[in-house]
Formats: sequence, structure tokens, C-alpha cells
Amino acid sequence: MRKYLFLSAFVLTLFVVACSSSDDEGGTVDNFDREAMLENIADNIIVPAYQNFSSDMTALKTATSDFVTTTNEANLVSLREAWLTAYTSWQSVSMYEIGMAEAISFRNFMNVYPVNTANIESNISSGSYDLSSISQQDEQGFGALDYLINGVSDSDTNIVGVFTDATAGADYKEYLTNLVNRMDALTSQVVTDWTANYRDTFVNNSGSSATSSVDRIVNDFIFHYEKHLRAGKVGIPAGVFSGSPLEDRVEGFYKGDISKMLFNANLDALQDFFNGEHFTSSTTGQSLKTYLDFLNTIKDGEDLSTLINNQFNVARTTAANLNDDFSEQVRTNNSLMLNTYDELQKNVVLIKVDMLQAISVNVDFVDADGD
Amino acid sequence: MKIKNIAKVIGITGAVFLVSCSSDDDNTPVVQVEAPATYVFERDGESTVSFSGQTTRIAMAEAIIGQFKNTATTEAIVDAMFDHQENADDFEDATLNASDKSVRNKTAASRDYFSSNATDAAEIKADFDSWIKGQIDEVFPNWAVMATEGNAGFLQEAGGGSERYVNAKGLEYDQAFTKSLIGALMTDQALNNYLGTAVLDEADNIANNDNGVVADGQVYTTMEHKWDEAYGYLYGASADPANPNPTIGDADSFLNKYIGRVEGDPDFAGIAAEIYDAFKLGRAAIVAKNYTVRDAQAAIVKEKVSEIIGIRAVYYLQQGKNGLEAGTVDYASVFHDLSEGFGFIYSLQFTQNPATNQPYFSKTEVEVLLNQLMGATNGLWDVTPATLDTLSDTIAAKFSFTVAQAGSTN
Repeated sequence: MRKYLFLSAFVLTLFVVACSSSDDEGGTVDNFDREAMLENIADNIIVPAYQNFSSDMTALKTATSDFVTTTNEANLVSLREAWLTAYTSWQSVSMYEIGMAEAISFRNFMNVYPVNTANIESNISSGSYDLSSISQQDEQGFGALDYLINGVSDSDTNIVGVFTDATAGADYKEYLTNLVNRMDALTSQVVTDWTANYRDTFVNNSGSSATSSVDRIVNDFIFHYEKHLRAGKVGIPAGVFSGSPLEDRVEGFYKGDISKMLFNANLDALQDFFNGEHFTSSTTGQSLKTYLDFLNTIKDGEDLSTLINNQFNVARTTAANLNDDFSEQVRTNNSLMLNTYDELQKNVVLIKVDMLQAISVNVDFVDADGD
Repeated sequence: MKIKNIAKVIGITGAVFLVSCSSDDDNTPVVQVEAPATYVFERDGESTVSFSGQTTRIAMAEAIIGQFKNTATTEAIVDAMFDHQENADDFEDATLNASDKSVRNKTAASRDYFSSNATDAAEIKADFDSWIKGQIDEVFPNWAVMATEGNAGFLQEAGGGSERYVNAKGLEYDQAFTKSLIGALMTDQALNNYLGTAVLDEADNIANNDNGVVADGQVYTTMEHKWDEAYGYLYGASADPANPNPTIGDADSFLNKYIGRVEGDPDFAGIAAEIYDAFKLGRAAIVAKNYTVRDAQAAIVKEKVSEIIGIRAVYYLQQGKNGLEAGTVDYASVFHDLSEGFGFIYSLQFTQNPATNQPYFSKTEVEVLLNQLMGATNGLWDVTPATLDTLSDTIAAKFSFTVAQAGSTN
């Protein structure tokens, strides 16, 4: 909308300067079936991904309960596996900060990292904290669980020791349980809303205004790609924004060897979203890719959708050379991390500039002020 | 005098318009002043550009605002930095300590606005003093306490973000101080002091400039120097002050920074070049002894710098409004935005509309706006999106931009 206002002001300016007497500005509505794309995204991608994540959260809750009841190394290992499974599934839903997820600020309550371990410890010892407070987002979620089950001590024996400690053990168990219960409750809230009512709202809002579903989900996709994949998982640890590497900023820092796996899971999910690939199979449906192909969008003599997929693939291939532990990677050979960042950045231009221009969507987010 | 200046501006605008739209030459006398590629001016091979006093004050101001997060500091220390006296040991930087410059004595101190208004000037200085005192007396004791309605303390931004330290009404004193100083020091001095004819043409400045008579012991004429001092409040901390726009926004926490921010909004792209070009051409006009062109350029700078302040005031009000309307309100972010907005609104009283030579909002009008923003029992905790829209509309209406243009940076 603003773009058009701006454009018409521009045209008006030209008009005055040129003293011309004709005006042939026209609309640019395309005939792509946006509703069919939204339907595919909702029914075959978002909802099944959430349902899968939700069942992994339930398993995590069970594993937590088992560990709290019978606190031993075997149950710690099981809990850690359940945590990692859910953390991986999370990568397939984290970009959909729309509807209920947006309303409750789902992503920020689920996966902020790095976490503030001093505050986590003080929450545990004081027993006085409000996890629904925005100030407590870096004391909960997958990152806080990472600290509790991987980082709270230096070996499995000692971690179990923390949770069985005669004085403080019960407080650790309570905090762990509260975190998992909250994550599970928030997830249920989001999933239930999708299946009970938001699915139809989402699909039916198929227009082309700034608040239409296409505009919003595409912005969510790009925002996530730029801030959470490119910057959060790679750029920030590589020191792109700070000048020197920050090894403690990686995802899954306390576990240590999972940051690459989580990165890949997220990269795949983003590319699958672009291609409209069903969550449970390799079947594809209407998507941003088919939208671009429908419009026959060409850049430098090549289909834009092909360029975007190629660039996703280049980023994946480049990242394949990275250490499983991105902390280790930035310590030993940060230039490989920077290479990966650069390849990810190239797609920002293709999707944020070229693609948005083709499908007439405006960017609705801005870089934080930074002060 | 004022009417004559307006007539000049209108005359020039009209001439440009005629040139664009008519097909035959109407022989309007064309003024031949050519701006150099960069802000470089010399006399006998020596640079005549000098604004070290402005660079010094910007550096002092940076040190002062740094104290707002230093809980070990005291009111006396910050007051002394603000009101620095020559050779007092106020700063870490020895050259700042040796300087006879001070931030406070140039706060609300322009010729055009305050030379015969010591009352307002004193009230404004007292506001800045009160923000320093408030930070130390009200906020520092609650540094580790979470802020609630009616109680000072900290709030953390979403996503494990920054901690913001607010007073009982949700206002961050450091933002109030910093953003208000953009108006009261940089803008007021540049627009209402150095670019005004009262200062440029004072005493025998015109005759001396006409005859190439330089100031005592200097290579520049007094008029050249006054113009440069205005320039210094925008670009005095730049990496390359002669060609500052490649790094516009990076030089300081004040006016330079926000010219950069507004330039980054496609709705206003080009404004940094307009301001810089006007400064260059105006300075070249002084060298060419063409005061008509000079004043036309001063008018452009006044209008555009005023716009920067108006745009950022509306921007932060709209950011705050968007935050309040979110499903999960991130009060730390909202209060941070609105505290910046508070400072930019405060700064509106130091803008200057070249058509009237008056601020776009008077001191009294600014007080009304700020009371709308802060006036409820718990201040920012109680402000509504509707009020923020009303404030935005009121501000944008006085300028040539819309709330939508200013409200986002894309």
C-alpha cells in the first residue's frame, strides 16, 4: 500500500516536472491462485509439522517425568534423546510466527539462546520467577533445557548428582519440570488454534494486502531465514556483527555437537517451504516456487526459483564442511563459517528483493535500531 | 529581514520551476556559485574549515551519556561533566579536560531563540539536570529490581534482549537526555545560531567577508567559520568530515546518527545528500560573497534537519504503538521506543521552519505533547495506541511527510 502511495507521489512528481498531460499508471494483480498455495502450506506443511512437533514435546514431557521420578544416568540419556528429537522437530515449525504463535510470542519463549545461566541458577535457588514474563525468555526453552541436562555439570554422573543433591536437587527437578510443562502447554495452545480455527482464517485471507496471509507468511519466512538461520545460527557465532567470533552463541552450546544438525534441519525446512514440499512426503504442491514459475520470473536469463534453490543447495554444501559443533568451528577455522554465512546471505538478496518484487509483497519488518 | 528571506527562497524555487516547465529562456539572472565535490575550502593553499569546538562537544556529550549506565557514578560527577570548566578533571580524555568548551553552556543557547529568552533557556537546562539527577536518585537504587507500574527498575527486552532502566513512569532518562540533546545542543546551535543571519552577518562580518579580511590570527573569515561551526554539529565526529555521507549515521549518538537512520528509510532516501549539498553550496556561496544563495541553502538545512527530528519523533511513537498492539507486549522495547520518542518530541522546540523562522512546535506546544505522552498516573505504562496515533498525526501535520512514511523504515 505504502509502496503505491510512494509510487503515485513519484509519478505525480514526474508529471509536474515533465508538464505532461497523460497518466497511464496501472495495477499489477496477477492470476496466481494464492488460496491454493495457502491451502498447501497449511494442510500439508504447517499443520503436520506442528502435530509432529507436538507429539515430540509430549515424549519430552514423559522423558522429563521419568527422569524426575527415577533420577539416574540411563534416564538422563533418554531425556537428552527426547530433548534432541523435539529440538530437531522444532526447526520445522520455528519460522511460522503467525496466528497464535505470534500472539503468545512462541519462538521467544521456546528457543532463545544463549541463555542467562546466572539467572537460571538464581531462579532455581530462589524458587521465585514468572516464566510468562518477557524478561525471563533467556531463562527457559530449549536453550535452558540444554543447560540443565548438558551444562549444569561436567559429566553425566555429576549432572545426575545435581538433580539428586539433598539440598538443591528438588529445586532443579522442579525447574526442569516447569520449563518442559510450559513449553508443552504453549505448543498445545498453538497447535490447537491451528486445527480448531486458524487454518481457515489463514487460507481464506488470500488477498494481497499487507495483512493478507501470503504477505505475512512470506515475511515470516524471510524474517526467520535472515534473523534466525543466517544470523542466529551462523553469523552471530562467526562474529559477522561483532567483529570477532562468539563461540558461546551457538545453538545447543552445552550439548556441543548438535549445532550443525539443527542448522541443517532448519535449512531443509525453509527450502521445503519454498518448494511447497509436504511435511510427510516428497510430494510438492503450490508454493513460492510455483508462484514464481507461474509468473515466469527470470533473473540473469535463469528462472528465479532455480536460482533460489541452487543457492539453498550451495549453502548446504558449504555447511557440509563445517564441524558438527559450530563452537569448535569458529575456534579452529572461522573462515569456513564466514563462507557459509556469505552463501546464506546471497539468498537474502534473491528472496527478499527479487522474489518479493515478483510477487508484489512488501517487507514488513526492519532491522532493530541497535541502541 | 524575515520577509525578505522568504521572498528569496520563493524566488529561487519559482525560477527552478520555470526553468523546468517553460520552453523558452526568460533570462532569469542565474547565480553562478559552484559547490566543490567535498567540503574542502582553502585560502592560499591552507584549509579554512574549522569546527574543532563542535567535535569536542560531541565527544563530551558521548562521555556524559555513557554515565547513565555507570551505577558507580555520582550526581556531582555527571553534573561536572555536563557543565565542564577548563582544566577540570572531568573526563578520561585529557584533551577534553583541557578544553574550555562545555555542553551545558551551549544547551538551549542559540542567538535566534534564547538570546532574549533566558527564562526558557534556564528551564530547559534544568530539565537536563533533572534527568541526570533522576537517573542517579531514582533509577540507580533500583538497578536490580524489575520495574512495575509506578516503580523504577529494569525491564528486559524479548528474546533475551537488552535491559532497559526506567523511572516509575516507564521513562528511560538516558534516552530522554540523549535525544533531547540532539535538539537542545546540535540542532539549536546549528539551525538557530550559526545558520541565522544574526550570527552570520553580525557586526562587520559581511564587509570582512566581502574584502577577504580574516579573523584575528586565523585563515578563515568569521562568516566562513560560523557556517563551519553549524556543519560541525552534524559531521564533526565523522571519519571523513569533508566527505561524511559514506559513513553517515556512524559518527555519533546524536544528529549524525539520525540523519543516517532517516536516510536508510526509502521514503526519505536522499535527505542526507540534500543536507550535505546545501552545506557545501552555502559555504561556497560565502566564498563567492553571494548571500542570497547562502541563505537559500541555510533554509534547506533548517527544513531538512527539522524534518529529521519530526520523522524520528513519529517513528518512535509508531514503533511504540505497534509494540503495545502486539499479542505479547514487550514493555522494555515499547518504553525504549517511547523514551526515544520523548526526546525527539522535546527536540521539536529547537527546530526551525524557514518559512516562519519559528520552531515547528513551540516550547509550550511541546509541553502539551509530552503531557499527553507522560501525563497519565503511571506515565508510559498507561499510554494508549490511540494517544500515540494522535500525537503522531499532530506532529506529521506540521511537516511534509505522512505518519505512514515516518512510521516505518521501509
